[in-house]
Amino acid sequence: MRTRLTVAVAGLAGLLITAVPVVAHHSFAAEYDASKPINLTGTVTKIEWTNPHCYFYIDVKNEESGKIENWALELGNPNALLRAGWTPNSVKIGESVTVEGTRAKDGTFLGNARSMVLMSTGRRLFAGSSQTTNP
Amino acid sequence: MVTNSVERCRMGAWARAAVVFGVFVLTPSAHVFGQWVMYPTPNVPRLADGQLDPKAPAPRQPDGKPDFIGFWQPDRMRDCTPDLASRVRLTQPCKPGDPVTVPNGPASVPGGLPLQPWAAELARQRTADLSKDDPHNRCQPDNYPRVYWLPHYTKIFHVPGELLMLNEWNAQFRQIYTDGRPFPELMHPIYSGYSIGKWEGDTFVITTKGFRESEWLDTAGNPITGEATMTERITRPNFGTLNLAITIDDPKAYTKPFTIDMNMKIMIDTQMIEEFCLENERDSSRLFGPGGGNRP
Repeated sequence: MRTRLTVAVAGLAGLLITAVPVVAHHSFAAEYDASKPINLTGTVTKIEWTNPHCYFYIDVKNEESGKIENWALELGNPNALLRAGWTPNSVKIGESVTVEGTRAKDGTFLGNARSMVLMSTGRRLFAGSSQTTNP
Repeated sequence: MVTNSVERCRMGAWARAAVVFGVFVLTPSAHVFGQWVMYPTPNVPRLADGQLDPKAPAPRQPDGKPDFIGFWQPDRMRDCTPDLASRVRLTQPCKPGDPVTVPNGPASVPGGLPLQPWAAELARQRTADLSKDDPHNRCQPDNYPRVYWLPHYTKIFHVPGELLMLNEWNAQFRQIYTDGRPFPELMHPIYSGYSIGKWEGDTFVITTKGFRESEWLDTAGNPITGEATMTERITRPNFGTLNLAITIDDPKAYTKPFTIDMNMKIMIDTQMIEEFCLENERDSSRLFGPGGGNRP
């Protein structure tokens, strides 16, 4: 029963990933550069489950310099993520994740996340990116 | 009353059956129990697979008027009809009967907005600045009618003497009085304006005045001024849809009135949750602060 429930809930989350509209709080182009895609794998160090955007912070090793860079990744708002099947416990501090998104125009370690994959399970979570929203 | 073992057993069987039904029948229609944000909406017409039947007849109030109660979000998908292009700017031709994605808000006005020269220059500049001055970025209250085409959910109630709109964004409210009162003599400008509503057959007609000066109609920065009068004609053609024809007559910013024709879709199996923007707002410091500054 518990296994079936898990499968059903996972399936539900999968369905909702494509079904829930995103919530944009700001002009995407003002902050992010669509020509700078990012694909980062790192360890979650901090989670802000807050309005108007949730933020996940991950430590990423720079392969060139060998240094650890702490990236701030902007997601949708809590309501959008909850309706997409997330909970505040979907990703935990210390977990390894891969994030696809877009880098900030100012070149800092800030990105707008489109999706997040939990490396332990391969589960892909919709990130509520504002990139696809019509102004 | 003492419940005997047989009854307890029956109740246990019913409970197990209810759980199985919930997991295998309701789950595919987006029910997750235990979360208000995903709590099932009662009295919703559903198809055999449990999904919403949006084409079911719209409900009516006890007095026979259409019932707009529901939780609504702007819907850019429209059913193509022969006259749709006369009401909505289409970015691609559509075949009658097919669904078509249409532009949102003022961008959907056929022929574009009839801007006065100063308003056209203002909108051009705001767009060139990538809308960094947008009040929405800074968590300011949203103004009507812009609220309608932002993605935040609106809940509508009929209450005695009023139609009430609640919006998740900053927990905003809008009151549309239906008790016959006139506009107030003093209309200090407010974000929602002052609204009076009445029924014309199955159409609810709202007249609104008293807007704040130079608010943004959209992210592109088209303005609305304190001289605007807004007339909304709202119908509910079926259970899943509200249609709004929103006419803005703002001679200060526009050379003639124009109408935004849009749909809202009902959002079921979810609940209204507060969404206070100022909780952790960081975008404006990046947009306005020296050198940005995204670090915590």
